[in-house]
Amino acid sequence: MRRFVLIAIPYVWLLALFLVPFAIVLKIALSDAAVARPPYFPQFDWAEGIAAFIAELDFENFVWLTEDDLYWKAYLSSLKIAVISTFFTLLAGYPIAYGMARAPEEWRPTLMMLVILPFWTSFLIRVYAWMGILSNEGFLNQFLMWIGVISEPLTILNTNSAVYIGIVYTYLPFMILPVYSALERLDGSLIEAAEDLGCSRLTAFWLVTIPLSKTGIIAGSFLVFIPVLGEFVIPSLLGGSDTLMIGKVLWEEFFSNRDWPVASAVAVVLLLLLVIPIVLFQRNQQKQQEAE
Amino acid sequence: MIHFQNVTKRYGEFTAIDNLTIDIYEREFYALLGPSGCGKTTLMRMLAGFETPTEGKIFLAGQDIAPVPPNKRAVNMMFQSYALFPHLSIWENIAFGLKREKMPKHDINDRVEEMLRLTRLEKFARRKPHQISGGQRQRVALARSLAKHPKLLLLDEPLGALDKKLRQDTQFELMDIQEKTGTTFVIVTHDQEEAMTVASRVAVMDHGKIIQVSTPDRIYENPNSVYVADFIGDVNLIEGTAKLNGSDSYAMSWHEGHAPLSIKSPNAFSDGQKCHLAIRPEKVAISADQPAEADNAVQGRILDIAYLGNISTYHVELPTGAVIKAQTANTRRIARRAFTWEDTVWLSWTATAGVLLAD
Amino acid sequence: MTLKTMTMTAVVALGTAAAATAEEVRVYNWSDYIDEGLLEKFEKETGIDLIYDVFDSNEVLETKMLAGGSGYDVVVPTGSFMARQIQAGAFQKLDPSKLPNKGNMWGAIEERTSKYDPGNEYSINYMWGTTGIGVNAGKVKEVLGEDAPIDSLELVFNPANMEKLASCGVHFLDAPDEMIPAALKYIGEDPNSMDADVVAKAEPVLMAVRPYITKFHSSEYINALANGDICVAFGWSGDILQARDRAAEAENGVEIEYNAPKEGALMWFDQMTIPVDAPNPEGAHKFLNFIMDAQNMAAASNYVYYANGNKASQEFLEEDVIGDPAIYPNEETVQNLYIKEGYPPKVQRKATRLWTKVKSGT
Repeated sequence: MRRFVLIAIPYVWLLALFLVPFAIVLKIALSDAAVARPPYFPQFDWAEGIAAFIAELDFENFVWLTEDDLYWKAYLSSLKIAVISTFFTLLAGYPIAYGMARAPEEWRPTLMMLVILPFWTSFLIRVYAWMGILSNEGFLNQFLMWIGVISEPLTILNTNSAVYIGIVYTYLPFMILPVYSALERLDGSLIEAAEDLGCSRLTAFWLVTIPLSKTGIIAGSFLVFIPVLGEFVIPSLLGGSDTLMIGKVLWEEFFSNRDWPVASAVAVVLLLLLVIPIVLFQRNQQKQQEAE
Repeated sequence: MIHFQNVTKRYGEFTAIDNLTIDIYEREFYALLGPSGCGKTTLMRMLAGFETPTEGKIFLAGQDIAPVPPNKRAVNMMFQSYALFPHLSIWENIAFGLKREKMPKHDINDRVEEMLRLTRLEKFARRKPHQISGGQRQRVALARSLAKHPKLLLLDEPLGALDKKLRQDTQFELMDIQEKTGTTFVIVTHDQEEAMTVASRVAVMDHGKIIQVSTPDRIYENPNSVYVADFIGDVNLIEGTAKLNGSDSYAMSWHEGHAPLSIKSPNAFSDGQKCHLAIRPEKVAISADQPAEADNAVQGRILDIAYLGNISTYHVELPTGAVIKAQTANTRRIARRAFTWEDTVWLSWTATAGVLLAD
Repeated sequence: MTLKTMTMTAVVALGTAAAATAEEVRVYNWSDYIDEGLLEKFEKETGIDLIYDVFDSNEVLETKMLAGGSGYDVVVPTGSFMARQIQAGAFQKLDPSKLPNKGNMWGAIEERTSKYDPGNEYSINYMWGTTGIGVNAGKVKEVLGEDAPIDSLELVFNPANMEKLASCGVHFLDAPDEMIPAALKYIGEDPNSMDADVVAKAEPVLMAVRPYITKFHSSEYINALANGDICVAFGWSGDILQARDRAAEAENGVEIEYNAPKEGALMWFDQMTIPVDAPNPEGAHKFLNFIMDAQNMAAASNYVYYANGNKASQEFLEEDVIGDPAIYPNEETVQNLYIKEGYPPKVQRKATRLWTKVKSGT
């Protein structure tokens, strides 16, 4: 009985927080837009019964998504932005995690604190701060002009570069923490052993440190990649008007067109795009574990 | 083959190795023995190249190795934790060093197979380190460090993680492999029994200095200091003052009202010099009556008996309050033991049984 | 215990109960759109707690209305959006008996707003204004020369001008319902056209200038103009006038000027309405009546530099508001103003898609 309850809790959790909302979104995706409140049709009505209700649903909105290249372009562009920013987050986060893991033991809690500290400030305020730093009259340009590196201000704000900066900054802790925990567990004598067996520092890093922090790298990359794919706030605040992301398209369908069904269809496809790689990844992990 | 010349290593204020000069010869099985913190690991890490001496030089085959990084040294190390790469199979672990040498593929294959045979691990080649036992892991670590034909193999507490029985088997295996491969082994250990078993020469270290370097038997029988005598095995130490009494022979007065002890010693002492007699418990005989022809005999009361199965150790309190340990082989069944607690007994030993050591 | 003390206790108990569940009115209005002193005044006069939230896009408001259960008692959609929301059943009819100040309203405006809300049954006008061009006059003249067409759509829709202006920064409203009509007006089409083919004609006009637009955003331009970050904003009259005042206060040498384009400008109306599921419609009526008070309305306009639909308030308006043709346009300009109704869903989708293409190039 106790075991049943223990297992039931996460499943109820999953059901309540994921499956039920997903079912609602899916249902809206299969409905038609209408001038009504809420703005779609059919509404579920007990009197008519479930069969009649289901008969009204169709896949029109998904067909629609294939007919306009906007959606594919937005998905691809989101994918590109997510891949690139995950890569840069890894590039920036790994050395920090590495440094933290190599730091003297008594410093580590402090370093960890410093990584988490920004979370204590509102995310929006931090993004607005970046607007102040990156704008044409902002601190960065003023500084660069002051030291004489540039004579004309660089246009960074409202471009994709600003989006990347914002994303890397915001999601850095999500990369650092799992990588750090993987690196912290790494036995220093493994590196020495690799060097002892003929590796230079660099090859030891490639052949031992990187493979052994692989779980942290993968976990961190997923923690960054998945939310970035659907990111809306950072591109809309820091990005230019030509920063095309699926989150923005979804927003537009939902808010500008009031077309909740199409917006829901976009969301469902986005979710499928995310779920498929995750499932594949987990399968792969499982297989590896079984093989061992 | 290896020559340490006035090597000193300091970490800030702390001196780990203090002006040390030693030689290690080819094909030797050399043990660095000492309590933790005595500098033995630092010494080994300097050989491997993970530490550099603050002062002095280390020569390997006549060449100063200070500028040679660890990955370029013909020295391999077997780590205390084994440091097996958990993401690689046993086979890949052993091949790791060979691949770095850009050895042709089939040569690597041959060499790895050879090492697997030597360490009897053929069956486990495809497994990952966490899928084999501690003893097997130890052998993988050994195979991996030997695969590259190092001139010198360093073993850092190689058997520390094994249980006692396995440790003893492995000690002999190590010796066997050392003989087969002809590699020079330097082992670091705090376990004197292990050092005595495997090594051809033992260096006893303390506080960054080498106290004595010798063969195991000489270290045991002829320690050159109270420290070594006390560190290696069990010993009785009796303090007194020396007085020359014939050639190489001394009379050591140790307590008022007791006859001086007669001791033969190659070490020279001046009259009245403070000294210690170090005598191993197994060289002290115990008897109910005063022995007729003993060089030295003292009377005492049995305080305690430690029964170890094959032998028993008697703790005998002398009238002076000092406690002397005497060991006898249990050749008879325990029920027929001659002495018991509170018995008054005589302890006796010959003039050559102990060594006389300076303060 | 006497009867008197019992009554006393009851009164005290009632008093605390009333304090615990103090009456609230929740108002959801555009950002930077009221004199905050009025909010306190309302609380003082009525004893009702006023909770005041802001938004900066009709779309956000509309979504809340269509989803229902927003919890607001008073909301302020723009006319064209409101028309559709009335159709969807998002609002309740006002009760004229609770709005004694309704007589203060300006018939000329009510006549226009009845296009969105026939008979003005659901809404009262809060503010109205035009959509036009705000410029940092000094910078624009520096870039385009002294005769820069700062009062013409030429400034923002002629690529030759925009190419030069790109260097000092241009913001457009992120509002297809305002920008498409303006583009149509520029090429001489009917800005209020509901014909998808006509709407499509706005695309090449907008696409031609899009490379030179720094950002499409509906509120950032106030600060950006005032700071000197940008030199041109196509935006709402009052917002640009606020930017003018902020720049003047900051004494940063930035001089902002607003013009309704001479070719014709969009005239819009922000209407106060009560959601159908408002928790406190009683309080909402009180708030509407409070706003319709001539002096209160005048205070709001004096503060935000937008014209209002309250005739009686005009005598209390400051001269730089009532006398400014940018706020209260003269008769001639009014002739030039056009209004726009909401697009039907299919055309709306076209318009949004067109707008996405303009913004992202896809």
